[in-house]
Amino acid sequence: MANSKFSDVDEYGFQRPEDFDYLVYEKFMSSYLKVLTERQIRWETLKRKNTDFSKLTRTLKRYIRKGIPTSYRTEVWMKVSGAYQNQQQSPDLYSNLLRAQFDRDTVEAIKIDLPRTFPDNIHFETKKRQLFNVLIAYAHHNRDVGYCQGLNYIAGLLLIVTQKEEPTFWLLKMIVEKIVPSYHTKRMTNLIRDLAVLKELIKLKVPEVNNHIENLGLPYTVIASKWFVCLFAEVLPTETVLRIWDCVFAEGYKILFRVGITLIVAHRNVILQADDISVLAELFRNEIIKGEIATDCHNFMKNIFKVPGNLKRRDLERLRLICIDRTNC
Amino acid sequence: MATTPRGGGTAQRPNGASQNKICQFKLVLLGESAVGKSSLVLRFVKGQFHEYQESTIGAAFLTQTLCIDDTAVKFEIWDTAGQERYHSLAPMYYRGAQAAIVVYDIQNQDSFQRAKTWVKELQRQASPNIVIALAGNKADLSNSRVVEYEEAKQYAEENGLLFMETSAKTAMNVNDIFLAIAKKLPKNDGAGNQGSGQGRRLAEVEQNRQTNNCCK
Repeated sequence: MANSKFSDVDEYGFQRPEDFDYLVYEKFMSSYLKVLTERQIRWETLKRKNTDFSKLTRTLKRYIRKGIPTSYRTEVWMKVSGAYQNQQQSPDLYSNLLRAQFDRDTVEAIKIDLPRTFPDNIHFETKKRQLFNVLIAYAHHNRDVGYCQGLNYIAGLLLIVTQKEEPTFWLLKMIVEKIVPSYHTKRMTNLIRDLAVLKELIKLKVPEVNNHIENLGLPYTVIASKWFVCLFAEVLPTETVLRIWDCVFAEGYKILFRVGITLIVAHRNVILQADDISVLAELFRNEIIKGEIATDCHNFMKNIFKVPGNLKRRDLERLRLICIDRTNC
Repeated sequence: MATTPRGGGTAQRPNGASQNKICQFKLVLLGESAVGKSSLVLRFVKGQFHEYQESTIGAAFLTQTLCIDDTAVKFEIWDTAGQERYHSLAPMYYRGAQAAIVVYDIQNQDSFQRAKTWVKELQRQASPNIVIALAGNKADLSNSRVVEYEEAKQYAEENGLLFMETSAKTAMNVNDIFLAIAKKLPKNDGAGNQGSGQGRRLAEVEQNRQTNNCCK
């Protein structure tokens, strides 16, 4: 990781964009490297104590919020989310799915997206076959979802972390069915509902920002569809996405709202200064998701538990009920 | 400014020296997945082309201004996701749109049929005066063409659509198709007003600014 600040390829193999801000990144990495080293040591201690990663104790939750070291990520994601336990119950499921006859249209749809999944990642070319396998297996396993554009980015990033098809499949299944159910189905009902919930939350937390966004006329579906569909993959910087996923696998969907609210609240002033819808859209395409705040993942992850304030599951569920009623009519 | 009519209408240059008008129109791109909607927009707005353009999730919004004579035509472009399941979101983008480009891939018969379905949906549900253009994209790959130029042209004529074969890759006809749309859109006072809802509101915002980023 240490040499990444001198390289135009990051530690996950992604080519840095031409306009990448090395200064901001170096400033961040100089302190983050210390954090990473410290976390590694702490997790080794945790591991030596034979900690059960499938039980989300207060200690484990605190550790996860501070970031899972790369070497433990697959194991912790699998266990804390329950994906590992599911795999144990159906150990042959994945290989059996790959032996079935594939649906032609689904194969076609996935193949269209393979070359355009992370073309800027130097390791990914060799992972295309694995990505195809995971996506086609999942499409046949869950016919209500089939193949939904966006799953390629989720499965792609899971593959980069786990390096293997099976854990990728089980983690993908966990996301699509348990963490954000009915986001990726043919009618995307819960996606539409949660976009409306996000808007309500922004209205509640920073009403002036919501007013401004509404007045300029940029719909939340343009702002945040990809945030939710991809769980911020191919939206935020990779390291930030992985830190978010650490918490998502442990704590569930609430984290996604925390991230969304924090991104908007943290950029309150620049959003309010945008005097035109195209300026606003450009902000959401660039600064808000790629700027300093989103890059400094350690600070950002602290902020998602502070900035949005109290976010009770009960309140969120109530909002969801209101919003689903509204989107139904 | 206060005297300017609402809705995509005209705005005077701040100094009043030239009589340049600024008209603003909402344009939506529709069509099947991977036919090149985002690539056409990227070519038109930034002059760029990515061989492996990422798939659009949800929708994207960009703007670009063209000049016709003394009029600056600003397009507010809503680029939609192509995959079928994202279509439940599409009406919110074409509602109030004054123009649409329906895109198909000349190598893909299904995408041409899908384009026809889009045209029908627009004719039924979009603003009655919407200007629709049909774009047969990936024209640089005419070796593997399956949709004949004449067939698409005839269909376009029968349905009152503008029609061009385009290539986002080589830039062929990309500016031209937007220009043809711009020419066909009404630019007299109160123009662009046939839309409703968002289109009009966006235009009001524009009116309150003194844009002169055109005709450089």
